Amino acid sequence: MLPEFNLKRPLTLNEALSEYAAGSYKIIAGGTDMIVEMRKEKSIDFDILDISGIPKLKSIKKEGGKIIIGALSTFSDVFKNEIVQKEVPLLKEAVRNAGSLQIRNRGTIGGNICNASPAADSVPPLVALDAEVNLVSTKGQRTVKLDEFITRPYATNIKEGEILKSITFSPPVCTGYHFYKLGRREALAISRMNVAVMLNIKGGVIEDAVISPGSVMPFVGRVTEAEELLEGNKPSKELFEKAGLKVSGIMIKESGIRWSTEYKKPVIKEMVSRALNFAAGTEK
Amino acid sequence: MEKLKINFKLNGKQIRVECEPAKTLLDLIRDDLGLKGVKRGCEIGECGACTVIMNGEIVNSCMVLAPQVEGSDITTIEGLTSDESLHPIQTAFMEKGAVQCGFCIPGMILSAKVLLDNKPSPSGSEIRTAIAGNLCRCTGYKQIVDAIKYAAQLMKNE
Repeated sequence: MLPEFNLKRPLTLNEALSEYAAGSYKIIAGGTDMIVEMRKEKSIDFDILDISGIPKLKSIKKEGGKIIIGALSTFSDVFKNEIVQKEVPLLKEAVRNAGSLQIRNRGTIGGNICNASPAADSVPPLVALDAEVNLVSTKGQRTVKLDEFITRPYATNIKEGEILKSITFSPPVCTGYHFYKLGRREALAISRMNVAVMLNIKGGVIEDAVISPGSVMPFVGRVTEAEELLEGNKPSKELFEKAGLKVSGIMIKESGIRWSTEYKKPVIKEMVSRALNFAAGTEK
Repeated sequence: MEKLKINFKLNGKQIRVECEPAKTLLDLIRDDLGLKGVKRGCEIGECGACTVIMNGEIVNSCMVLAPQVEGSDITTIEGLTSDESLHPIQTAFMEKGAVQCGFCIPGMILSAKVLLDNKPSPSGSEIRTAIAGNLCRCTGYKQIVDAIKYAAQLMKNE
Protein backbone atom coordinates (compact mmCIF):
# COMPACT_ATOMS: atom_id res chain seq x y z
CA MET A 1 0.00 0.00 0.00
CA LEU A 2 0.93 3.59 -0.55
CA PRO A 3 0.95 6.14 2.27
CA GLU A 4 -2.59 7.29 3.08
CA PHE A 5 -4.26 10.21 1.33
CA ASN A 6 -7.68 11.43 0.28
CA LEU A 7 -8.42 11.59 -3.40
CA LYS A 8 -10.68 13.74 -5.53
CA ARG A 9 -11.43 12.88 -9.11
CA PRO A 10 -12.93 15.86 -10.95
CA LEU A 11 -14.34 15.23 -14.42
CA THR A 12 -14.10 18.77 -15.77
CA LEU A 13 -11.27 21.27 -15.82
CA ASN A 14 -13.31 23.93 -13.98
CA GLU A 15 -14.16 21.50 -11.21
CA ALA A 16 -10.47 20.54 -10.97
CA LEU A 17 -9.34 24.17 -10.78
CA SER A 18 -11.72 25.13 -7.97
CA GLU A 19 -10.92 21.97 -6.01
CA TYR A 20 -7.19 22.59 -6.50
CA ALA A 21 -7.50 26.18 -5.28
CA ALA A 22 -9.43 25.08 -2.19
CA GLY A 23 -7.33 22.21 -0.88
CA SER A 24 -3.80 21.01 -0.32
CA TYR A 25 -3.30 18.78 -3.31
CA LYS A 26 -0.71 17.30 -5.55
CA ILE A 27 -1.86 16.43 -9.03
CA ILE A 28 -1.71 12.95 -10.45
CA ALA A 29 -2.24 12.11 -14.11
CA GLY A 30 -0.63 8.94 -15.46
CA GLY A 31 1.06 8.29 -12.13
CA THR A 32 4.20 6.71 -13.55
CA ASP A 33 6.44 9.16 -11.69
CA MET A 34 4.12 10.18 -8.83
CA ILE A 35 3.33 6.68 -7.59
CA VAL A 36 7.00 5.69 -7.55
CA GLU A 37 7.80 8.83 -5.54
CA MET A 38 4.90 8.33 -3.10
CA ARG A 39 5.90 4.74 -2.51
CA LYS A 40 9.20 5.94 -1.03
CA GLU A 41 7.36 7.83 1.75
CA LYS A 42 5.88 6.52 5.01
CA SER A 43 3.37 9.33 5.11
CA ILE A 44 2.51 12.30 2.94
CA ASP A 45 1.05 15.65 3.94
CA PHE A 46 -1.02 16.29 0.85
CA ASP A 47 -4.08 14.87 -0.85
CA ILE A 48 -4.30 13.74 -4.43
CA LEU A 49 -6.20 15.46 -7.20
CA ASP A 50 -6.59 12.93 -9.98
CA ILE A 51 -7.08 14.79 -13.26
CA SER A 52 -6.86 11.67 -15.44
CA GLY A 53 -10.64 11.59 -15.89
CA ILE A 54 -10.89 14.95 -17.69
CA PRO A 55 -11.42 14.02 -21.35
CA LYS A 56 -10.93 17.58 -22.61
CA LEU A 57 -7.23 17.49 -21.72
CA LYS A 58 -6.52 14.42 -23.81
CA SER A 59 -6.73 15.69 -27.38
CA ILE A 60 -4.11 16.36 -30.03
CA LYS A 61 -5.21 18.83 -32.69
CA LYS A 62 -4.11 21.48 -35.15
CA GLU A 63 -5.67 24.93 -34.91
CA GLY A 64 -4.67 28.10 -36.70
CA GLY A 65 -1.53 26.42 -38.02
CA LYS A 66 -0.39 25.39 -34.54
CA ILE A 67 -0.27 21.93 -33.03
CA ILE A 68 -1.88 21.66 -29.60
CA ILE A 69 -1.17 18.66 -27.42
CA GLY A 70 -3.50 18.21 -24.44
CA ALA A 71 -1.53 17.71 -21.22
CA LEU A 72 -3.12 14.31 -20.60
CA SER A 73 -2.03 12.87 -23.93
CA THR A 74 0.04 9.79 -23.19
CA PHE A 75 3.34 8.96 -24.87
CA SER A 76 1.40 6.31 -26.82
CA ASP A 77 -1.24 8.85 -27.89
CA VAL A 78 1.51 11.12 -29.23
CA PHE A 79 3.35 8.27 -30.92
CA LYS A 80 0.21 7.03 -32.69
CA ASN A 81 -1.18 10.44 -33.63
CA GLU A 82 -1.37 11.17 -37.35
CA ILE A 83 -0.63 14.90 -37.08
CA VAL A 84 2.50 14.15 -35.03
CA GLN A 85 3.63 11.39 -37.37
CA LYS A 86 3.20 13.58 -40.43
CA GLU A 87 4.30 16.97 -39.19
CA VAL A 88 6.59 16.38 -36.20
CA PRO A 89 8.36 13.04 -36.69
CA LEU A 90 11.09 14.29 -34.32
CA LEU A 91 8.62 14.18 -31.45
CA LYS A 92 7.35 10.77 -32.52
CA GLU A 93 10.91 9.40 -32.49
CA ALA A 94 11.59 10.90 -29.07
CA VAL A 95 8.58 9.29 -27.40
CA ARG A 96 9.07 5.94 -29.13
CA ASN A 97 11.47 4.56 -26.54
CA ALA A 98 10.38 6.34 -23.38
CA GLY A 99 10.01 3.72 -20.64
CA SER A 100 8.17 0.56 -21.66
CA LEU A 101 4.92 0.21 -23.58
CA GLN A 102 3.13 -0.12 -20.22
CA ILE A 103 4.62 3.22 -19.13
CA ARG A 104 4.01 4.93 -22.49
CA ASN A 105 0.35 3.90 -22.24
CA ARG A 106 -0.03 5.75 -18.91
CA GLY A 107 2.67 8.41 -18.71
CA THR A 108 1.50 11.79 -20.00
CA ILE A 109 3.35 14.59 -21.78
CA GLY A 110 2.01 17.07 -19.21
CA GLY A 111 3.34 14.92 -16.38
CA ASN A 112 6.69 14.53 -18.09
CA ILE A 113 6.99 18.33 -18.32
CA CYS A 114 5.72 19.14 -14.81
CA ASN A 115 7.92 16.49 -13.18
CA ALA A 116 10.79 18.30 -14.93
CA SER A 117 13.23 15.42 -14.73
CA PRO A 118 16.42 16.27 -16.62
CA ALA A 119 16.04 12.88 -18.32
CA ALA A 120 12.51 13.57 -19.63
CA ASP A 121 12.39 12.30 -23.20
CA SER A 122 9.67 14.66 -24.42
CA VAL A 123 11.34 17.86 -23.22
CA PRO A 124 14.36 18.27 -25.57
CA PRO A 125 12.28 17.81 -28.75
CA LEU A 126 9.57 20.16 -27.45
CA VAL A 127 12.22 22.76 -26.59
CA ALA A 128 13.67 22.25 -30.06
CA LEU A 129 10.19 23.00 -31.43
CA ASP A 130 10.05 26.20 -29.39
CA ALA A 131 6.98 24.89 -27.56
CA GLU A 132 4.91 26.91 -25.13
CA VAL A 133 2.95 25.59 -22.18
CA ASN A 134 -0.56 26.83 -21.46
CA LEU A 135 -1.38 27.10 -17.77
CA VAL A 136 -4.78 27.72 -16.24
CA SER A 137 -6.03 28.53 -12.75
CA THR A 138 -9.19 29.97 -11.25
CA LYS A 139 -7.54 33.37 -11.70
CA GLY A 140 -6.92 33.06 -15.43
CA GLN A 141 -4.54 31.72 -18.01
CA ARG A 142 -0.96 32.30 -19.01
CA THR A 143 1.40 30.98 -21.63
CA VAL A 144 5.09 30.42 -20.97
CA LYS A 145 7.90 29.17 -23.17
CA LEU A 146 8.82 25.64 -22.15
CA ASP A 147 12.52 26.46 -21.70
CA GLU A 148 11.52 29.19 -19.24
CA PHE A 149 8.89 27.05 -17.53
CA ILE A 150 11.40 24.41 -16.41
CA THR A 151 13.78 26.38 -14.24
CA ARG A 152 16.17 23.67 -13.04
CA PRO A 153 16.12 19.87 -12.57
CA TYR A 154 12.76 18.85 -11.02
CA ALA A 155 11.55 22.46 -10.73
CA THR A 156 9.19 24.62 -12.76
CA ASN A 157 7.77 28.08 -12.23
CA ILE A 158 4.23 26.74 -12.02
CA LYS A 159 2.21 28.85 -9.57
CA GLU A 160 -0.11 27.72 -6.82
CA GLY A 161 -3.41 26.57 -8.21
CA GLU A 162 -2.20 26.32 -11.79
CA ILE A 163 -2.76 23.27 -13.97
CA LEU A 164 -0.89 22.61 -17.18
CA LYS A 165 -3.59 22.40 -19.83
CA SER A 166 -1.73 21.98 -23.11
CA ILE A 167 1.47 22.39 -25.06
CA THR A 168 1.52 24.41 -28.29
CA PHE A 169 4.04 24.73 -31.09
CA SER A 170 4.23 25.39 -34.82
CA PRO A 171 5.12 22.51 -37.11
CA PRO A 172 8.86 22.83 -37.79
CA VAL A 173 10.42 23.83 -41.07
CA CYS A 174 13.33 21.44 -41.44
CA THR A 175 14.87 19.10 -43.96
CA GLY A 176 16.15 16.66 -41.37
CA TYR A 177 15.94 15.80 -37.67
CA HIS A 178 17.20 13.26 -35.20
CA PHE A 179 16.62 12.26 -31.59
CA TYR A 180 19.57 10.50 -30.05
CA LYS A 181 18.92 8.71 -26.76
CA LEU A 182 21.61 7.08 -24.73
CA GLY A 183 20.41 4.77 -21.98
CA ARG A 184 22.08 2.05 -19.96
CA ARG A 185 20.29 -0.56 -22.04
CA GLU A 186 17.95 -0.80 -25.00
CA ALA A 187 14.61 -1.51 -23.29
CA LEU A 188 13.03 0.47 -20.47
CA ALA A 189 15.97 2.81 -20.06
CA ILE A 190 15.89 6.24 -18.50
CA SER A 191 17.93 8.58 -20.67
CA ARG A 192 21.47 8.98 -19.43
CA MET A 193 21.77 11.76 -21.99
CA ASN A 194 19.74 12.64 -25.04
CA VAL A 195 19.71 15.27 -27.74
CA ALA A 196 17.17 16.48 -30.28
CA VAL A 197 18.46 18.18 -33.42
CA MET A 198 16.83 19.73 -36.47
CA LEU A 199 18.49 21.07 -39.59
CA ASN A 200 17.08 23.10 -42.43
CA ILE A 201 19.40 22.78 -45.41
CA LYS A 202 18.75 24.86 -48.52
CA GLY A 203 20.91 24.87 -51.63
CA GLY A 204 23.57 22.85 -49.82
CA VAL A 205 23.83 25.35 -46.97
CA ILE A 206 22.53 25.02 -43.41
CA GLU A 207 19.98 27.81 -42.98
CA ASP A 208 18.74 26.90 -39.52
CA ALA A 209 20.08 24.54 -36.91
CA VAL A 210 18.54 23.49 -33.61
CA ILE A 211 20.41 21.57 -30.93
CA SER A 212 18.48 20.74 -27.76
CA PRO A 213 20.16 18.35 -25.31
CA GLY A 214 18.67 16.66 -22.26
CA SER A 215 20.41 15.58 -19.03
CA VAL A 216 23.47 17.52 -20.12
CA MET A 217 23.03 21.10 -18.91
CA PRO A 218 21.69 22.31 -15.55
CA PHE A 219 18.78 23.89 -17.48
CA VAL A 220 16.73 22.99 -20.50
CA GLY A 221 17.33 24.97 -23.64
CA ARG A 222 19.01 25.13 -26.98
CA VAL A 223 22.74 25.50 -27.40
CA THR A 224 22.72 28.58 -29.60
CA GLU A 225 26.51 28.94 -29.71
CA ALA A 226 26.77 25.53 -31.39
CA GLU A 227 23.81 26.28 -33.65
CA GLU A 228 25.46 29.51 -34.87
CA LEU A 229 28.58 27.57 -35.72
CA LEU A 230 26.54 25.55 -38.21
CA GLU A 231 24.33 28.21 -39.76
CA GLY A 232 25.51 29.55 -43.11
CA ASN A 233 27.90 26.65 -43.63
CA LYS A 234 27.86 23.54 -45.77
CA PRO A 235 27.06 20.35 -43.87
CA SER A 236 30.10 18.11 -43.34
CA LYS A 237 31.31 15.57 -40.83
CA GLU A 238 34.08 17.94 -39.72
CA LEU A 239 31.63 20.78 -39.13
CA PHE A 240 29.32 18.53 -37.10
CA GLU A 241 32.25 17.37 -35.01
CA LYS A 242 33.07 20.99 -34.23
CA ALA A 243 29.46 21.56 -33.17
CA GLY A 244 29.65 18.48 -30.92
CA LEU A 245 32.85 19.78 -29.37
CA LYS A 246 31.18 23.12 -28.75
CA VAL A 247 28.24 21.51 -26.93
CA SER A 248 30.67 19.47 -24.87
CA GLY A 249 32.65 22.59 -23.95
CA ILE A 250 29.50 24.49 -22.97
CA MET A 251 28.36 21.54 -20.85
CA ILE A 252 31.56 21.78 -18.81
CA LYS A 253 31.27 25.56 -18.57
CA GLU A 254 27.66 25.33 -17.31
CA SER A 255 27.75 22.19 -15.18
CA GLY A 256 31.35 22.29 -13.94
CA ILE A 257 33.57 19.24 -13.58
CA ARG A 258 31.62 16.39 -12.00
CA TRP A 259 32.27 12.72 -11.37
CA SER A 260 30.58 11.94 -14.68
CA THR A 261 32.37 14.58 -16.76
CA GLU A 262 35.16 12.32 -17.97
CA TYR A 263 32.48 10.10 -19.51
CA LYS A 264 30.01 12.71 -20.63
CA LYS A 265 32.53 15.03 -22.29
CA PRO A 266 33.51 12.81 -25.25
CA VAL A 267 30.14 11.08 -25.39
CA ILE A 268 27.97 14.19 -25.76
CA LYS A 269 30.34 15.45 -28.43
CA GLU A 270 29.90 12.20 -30.36
CA MET A 271 26.12 12.10 -29.80
CA VAL A 272 25.61 15.64 -31.13
CA SER A 273 27.88 15.02 -34.07
CA ARG A 274 26.14 11.75 -34.97
CA ALA A 275 22.67 13.24 -34.55
CA LEU A 276 23.61 16.09 -36.90
CA ASN A 277 25.02 13.64 -39.42
CA PHE A 278 21.79 11.65 -39.32
CA ALA A 279 19.75 14.84 -39.72
CA ALA A 280 21.85 15.98 -42.68
CA GLY A 281 21.88 12.55 -44.26
CA THR A 282 25.69 12.40 -44.14
CA GLU A 283 25.38 9.25 -42.01
CA LYS A 284 22.74 6.57 -42.16
CA MET B 1 -9.19 7.95 4.83
CA GLU B 2 -12.39 8.36 2.90
CA LYS B 3 -13.29 5.25 0.92
CA LEU B 4 -14.39 5.65 -2.67
CA LYS B 5 -16.91 3.71 -4.71
CA ILE B 6 -15.48 2.41 -7.94
CA ASN B 7 -17.36 0.90 -10.87
CA PHE B 8 -15.48 -0.95 -13.56
CA LYS B 9 -15.50 -4.03 -15.71
CA LEU B 10 -13.21 -6.85 -14.63
CA ASN B 11 -12.82 -9.79 -16.98
CA GLY B 12 -16.10 -9.00 -18.68
CA LYS B 13 -18.10 -8.63 -15.48
CA GLN B 14 -19.34 -5.27 -14.24
CA ILE B 15 -18.26 -4.84 -10.63
CA ARG B 16 -18.67 -2.26 -7.92
CA VAL B 17 -16.24 -1.98 -5.03
CA GLU B 18 -15.46 0.37 -2.23
CA CYS B 19 -11.80 0.99 -1.50
CA GLU B 20 -9.26 3.33 0.05
CA PRO B 21 -7.76 5.75 -2.46
CA ALA B 22 -4.22 4.72 -1.50
CA LYS B 23 -4.72 1.30 -3.07
CA THR B 24 -3.30 0.60 -6.46
CA LEU B 25 -5.12 -1.43 -9.06
CA LEU B 26 -2.69 -4.22 -8.18
CA ASP B 27 -3.67 -4.11 -4.47
CA LEU B 28 -7.34 -4.06 -5.42
CA ILE B 29 -7.21 -7.00 -7.81
CA ARG B 30 -4.88 -9.22 -5.77
CA ASP B 31 -5.79 -8.46 -2.17
CA ASP B 32 -9.44 -7.37 -2.30
CA LEU B 33 -10.70 -9.34 -5.28
CA GLY B 34 -8.43 -12.35 -4.85
CA LEU B 35 -7.19 -12.70 -8.41
CA LYS B 36 -3.64 -13.87 -7.79
CA GLY B 37 -2.63 -14.16 -11.44
CA VAL B 38 -1.58 -10.52 -11.25
CA LYS B 39 1.88 -10.63 -9.68
CA ARG B 40 3.41 -8.15 -7.27
CA GLY B 41 6.95 -7.55 -8.47
CA CYS B 42 9.12 -4.43 -8.33
CA GLU B 43 6.22 -1.99 -7.76
CA ILE B 44 8.12 0.75 -9.57
CA GLY B 45 7.09 -0.04 -13.12
CA GLU B 46 10.18 -1.88 -14.23
CA CYS B 47 9.36 -5.60 -14.20
CA GLY B 48 5.92 -5.82 -15.81
CA ALA B 49 4.82 -8.75 -13.60
CA CYS B 50 1.70 -6.79 -12.61
CA THR B 51 0.68 -6.10 -16.23
CA VAL B 52 -3.06 -6.03 -16.93
CA ILE B 53 -5.04 -4.86 -19.95
CA MET B 54 -6.84 -1.56 -19.37
CA ASN B 55 -9.19 -0.43 -22.16
CA GLY B 56 -7.26 -2.47 -24.71
CA GLU B 57 -3.80 -1.30 -23.64
CA ILE B 58 -1.29 -2.90 -21.31
CA VAL B 59 -0.50 -1.04 -18.09
CA ASN B 60 1.47 -1.73 -14.93
CA SER B 61 -1.28 -2.19 -12.33
CA CYS B 62 1.19 -1.15 -9.58
CA MET B 63 1.20 2.35 -11.09
CA VAL B 64 -2.53 2.88 -11.46
CA LEU B 65 -4.49 4.10 -8.45
CA ALA B 66 -7.60 1.99 -7.92
CA PRO B 67 -9.96 5.02 -8.24
CA GLN B 68 -8.42 5.75 -11.64
CA VAL B 69 -10.04 2.64 -13.14
CA GLU B 70 -13.55 4.09 -12.76
CA GLY B 71 -15.46 3.19 -15.92
CA SER B 72 -12.59 1.16 -17.38
CA ASP B 73 -12.46 -2.31 -18.83
CA ILE B 74 -9.78 -4.45 -17.15
CA THR B 75 -8.61 -7.88 -18.22
CA THR B 76 -6.31 -10.09 -16.14
CA ILE B 77 -4.88 -13.48 -17.02
CA GLU B 78 -7.94 -15.06 -15.37
CA GLY B 79 -10.17 -13.38 -17.94
CA LEU B 80 -8.37 -14.58 -21.04
CA THR B 81 -11.01 -17.26 -21.69
CA SER B 82 -14.52 -17.46 -20.32
CA ASP B 83 -14.31 -21.14 -19.37
CA GLU B 84 -11.61 -23.50 -18.12
CA SER B 85 -10.05 -23.86 -21.57
CA LEU B 86 -6.69 -22.37 -22.45
CA HIS B 87 -6.16 -19.40 -24.72
CA PRO B 88 -3.98 -20.25 -27.77
CA ILE B 89 -1.21 -18.03 -26.34
CA GLN B 90 -1.22 -20.14 -23.15
CA THR B 91 -1.11 -23.34 -25.21
CA ALA B 92 1.77 -21.96 -27.26
CA PHE B 93 3.74 -20.97 -24.14
CA MET B 94 3.38 -24.51 -22.77
CA GLU B 95 4.22 -26.27 -26.00
CA LYS B 96 7.26 -24.11 -26.70
CA GLY B 97 8.66 -24.44 -23.18
CA ALA B 98 8.38 -20.70 -22.61
CA VAL B 99 7.51 -21.09 -18.93
CA GLN B 100 10.08 -21.78 -16.24
CA CYS B 101 9.40 -20.26 -12.82
CA GLY B 102 6.22 -18.70 -14.24
CA PHE B 103 6.24 -15.43 -12.31
CA CYS B 104 6.47 -13.19 -15.37
CA ILE B 105 4.12 -15.29 -17.49
CA PRO B 106 0.70 -13.71 -16.77
CA GLY B 107 2.06 -10.28 -17.68
CA MET B 108 4.00 -11.65 -20.61
CA ILE B 109 0.91 -13.36 -22.02
CA LEU B 110 -1.25 -10.25 -21.64
CA SER B 111 1.38 -8.17 -23.45
CA ALA B 112 1.42 -10.82 -26.18
CA LYS B 113 -2.37 -10.77 -26.37
CA VAL B 114 -2.59 -7.03 -27.00
CA LEU B 115 0.15 -7.33 -29.60
CA LEU B 116 -1.60 -10.17 -31.44
CA ASP B 117 -5.02 -8.49 -31.21
CA ASN B 118 -3.56 -5.49 -33.04
CA LYS B 119 -1.03 -7.28 -35.22
CA PRO B 120 -1.90 -10.86 -36.10
CA SER B 121 1.47 -11.59 -37.80
CA PRO B 122 4.15 -9.71 -35.86
CA SER B 123 7.84 -9.82 -36.77
CA GLY B 124 10.46 -10.94 -34.25
CA SER B 125 11.44 -7.37 -33.56
CA GLU B 126 7.82 -6.31 -33.08
CA ILE B 127 7.42 -9.13 -30.56
CA ARG B 128 10.55 -8.10 -28.69
CA THR B 129 9.38 -4.48 -28.57
CA ALA B 130 5.93 -5.56 -27.33
CA ILE B 131 7.39 -7.51 -24.39
CA ALA B 132 10.21 -5.05 -23.62
CA GLY B 133 8.34 -4.01 -20.46
CA ASN B 134 8.13 -7.57 -19.13
CA LEU B 135 11.23 -8.95 -17.47
CA CYS B 136 11.93 -12.68 -17.45
CA ARG B 137 14.97 -13.85 -15.53
CA CYS B 138 14.70 -17.55 -16.45
CA THR B 139 14.18 -18.18 -20.13
CA GLY B 140 16.40 -15.68 -21.87
CA TYR B 141 13.31 -14.71 -23.92
CA LYS B 142 14.00 -16.91 -26.94
CA GLN B 143 11.35 -19.49 -26.08
CA ILE B 144 8.91 -16.69 -25.24
CA VAL B 145 9.40 -15.01 -28.62
CA ASP B 146 9.06 -18.42 -30.33
CA ALA B 147 5.88 -19.11 -28.37
CA ILE B 148 4.32 -15.78 -29.39
CA LYS B 149 5.13 -16.51 -33.05
CA TYR B 150 3.56 -19.93 -32.65
CA ALA B 151 0.53 -18.45 -30.90
CA ALA B 152 0.03 -16.14 -33.89
CA GLN B 153 -0.24 -19.24 -36.10
CA LEU B 154 -2.61 -21.00 -33.70
CA MET B 155 -4.86 -17.96 -33.52
CA LYS B 156 -5.03 -17.73 -37.31
CA ASN B 157 -6.03 -21.40 -37.57
CA GLU B 158 -8.79 -20.99 -35.03
